[in-house]
Amino acid sequence: MKCALISLLISGASLWGGNQQPILQPVEFNVNSRYTVEAVELPREAESGISRGLRQDLERLIGQKFNPTAMNDVARRIRDELNVRKVVPRLLRGSSPDHVKIVMDVAGKRVDLSVPRLLYHSSEGLSGSVNGTLIAGDSRFTAGLVSDGDELVERFTGIRTRYENRHLGSDRVRLRFEFDSYHEQWNHSTLSALGQDSQVAGLYRTRQNFEPVVTIQVAKPLTVSFGAGFQRFETEGPGERTQLANAAITDVQYFQQFEGGVFGQQSLQADYSLRVATRALDSDYAYSRHRWELRYTVARGRQSLSEEAVGGFILGPAPLFERFQLGTSSMLRGWNKWELDPLGGSRVVYNSVEYRYGFFEAFYDAGAIWDPGQDMVVRHSLGVGVRKNSFLVATAFPIRGGRASPVFMVGMNY
Amino acid sequence: MRKVTRPWWLTAGLGATLLSGLAAPTLEVRLDRDDLHLDGDDLRVSAPAKFQFLSGKPLEKLKDGATLVYLAQLSLSASSEASTPLVRPAVNRFVVSYDVWEEKFSVTSTGVERATVSHLSATAAEGWCLDHLPLLIDGIPHDKALWIKLELRAEDARDQAGVVGDSGINLTRLIEVFSNPARAQQMHWEASAGPLRLEDIKRERRSSRSG
Repeated sequence: MKCALISLLISGASLWGGNQQPILQPVEFNVNSRYTVEAVELPREAESGISRGLRQDLERLIGQKFNPTAMNDVARRIRDELNVRKVVPRLLRGSSPDHVKIVMDVAGKRVDLSVPRLLYHSSEGLSGSVNGTLIAGDSRFTAGLVSDGDELVERFTGIRTRYENRHLGSDRVRLRFEFDSYHEQWNHSTLSALGQDSQVAGLYRTRQNFEPVVTIQVAKPLTVSFGAGFQRFETEGPGERTQLANAAITDVQYFQQFEGGVFGQQSLQADYSLRVATRALDSDYAYSRHRWELRYTVARGRQSLSEEAVGGFILGPAPLFERFQLGTSSMLRGWNKWELDPLGGSRVVYNSVEYRYGFFEAFYDAGAIWDPGQDMVVRHSLGVGVRKNSFLVATAFPIRGGRASPVFMVGMNY
Repeated sequence: MRKVTRPWWLTAGLGATLLSGLAAPTLEVRLDRDDLHLDGDDLRVSAPAKFQFLSGKPLEKLKDGATLVYLAQLSLSASSEASTPLVRPAVNRFVVSYDVWEEKFSVTSTGVERATVSHLSATAAEGWCLDHLPLLIDGIPHDKALWIKLELRAEDARDQAGVVGDSGINLTRLIEVFSNPARAQQMHWEASAGPLRLEDIKRERRSSRSG
């Protein structure tokens, strides 16, 4: 069924509770106000995207006499929260006489220009991206520009394009094709380190990525993605040539929210991703990259506490863009990633605890990045920041002996 | 004199197309004398088949459970150009909804007399609304040439505050609403007849009387 049933009958709580709106039209003028609402339905995607308060107000409609003003009010609030083009409420006959059900039809935007992402990092410089999406039915065409000096060991600048079908025979199945083309720039630390380490693959000037992926929602909190990534890059230096890193991709994601109890709102997110590059896919590299991530958040009122753990390893020689990083704007903040490991690492463990109260946030990060044959050295950092809506200003310090230079970060949507 | 270049034509054409596309459709129909009747001192419009306001998009909304509010005015003037009516126009406000179980319309008149009717077909509901718009023609010579204008609008939220008060409907404010043209996005319907003489209009007895 396309729509998900929000809730069943609830107790006779008064309609609207704390969100009472002025009634502009007398309810009794609508002939359907004598019927009882038995259900409120909205698309599965919309259901997961609305706030807890709005979901509760939707549930309060059930069991009450139909109120067109209330129906229109929740439709408007759904539209505002989901930031969609329109939400059209429809009243249908219920399953039993004198009962009706409300179905919310959500019409997404035809064109969606994403808010640009910008980040200034005192050791990495400026990173940013902007996307535009054209929406036609279940299909989305996205094109964007990116220049990112944060995520990988190199700065990559170029275009990202994506086609996505969000209903491949079912709402549970999605298909995505992505094509990216980047030009790379390298930090001098990476250039110096590469000459001393013959185990790590070389530099490249340009990189293209083609990635077809199918995502299946196995259950409400569990999605599985599988596909392939075809990376082609032009190596630098004398004898430059084209190399391929073609890999099979698998990603398993779990996301669950819990509400109620003394801890208020809790969420658990777990992710495992695997990339296996093999000669069978005509790849010049043969390796496997495993990465786990677990994030638990508990929020109550203006406070929230998050715990994040990440682990990963790479077996076999992998190109530099596959190698793990710490010392970025999101992992082991406060450290300079090129000081930690200018070539990235093939092993990583990381843990972060973050506390937020209103605008204020404080975090403690710890992690290690290394290669086989090297010692695993755990490093720590502390930081504080202010986060308001999509804006972030933060500073973080590496915890170490001697002089510690802080890292400053100013971001929007990062 | 400024030369009109092709880009100007293109811009003007595109602009006109966009504006016409953005504006809500208006239905303008011509009434015959058979579409009118006299009931004592009241002039009424019968529901002509060509004057349908419970169709198209409004009908879709009603079938989705929405409540639609229509403002209606029937006025009489001495010429087709005259803006001043000969007598105080008849105005009313109708609240329409559609019963999703019985698939019938319900209408409530919230004007001078509050009345509600249900279990109506679309045509019957339209007829009921027009029948509850009686124009008092007391004192109008029966041999005088007259122009009759029927206007109907979907109520705009900006008008609602002035029209609907704690004590009910403000008829003077409702007449003022019709003195301004309908807004671009406001659904509106118009019908006119004239010149006609009252002596040429048939007489018919109905129950509802003008206030």
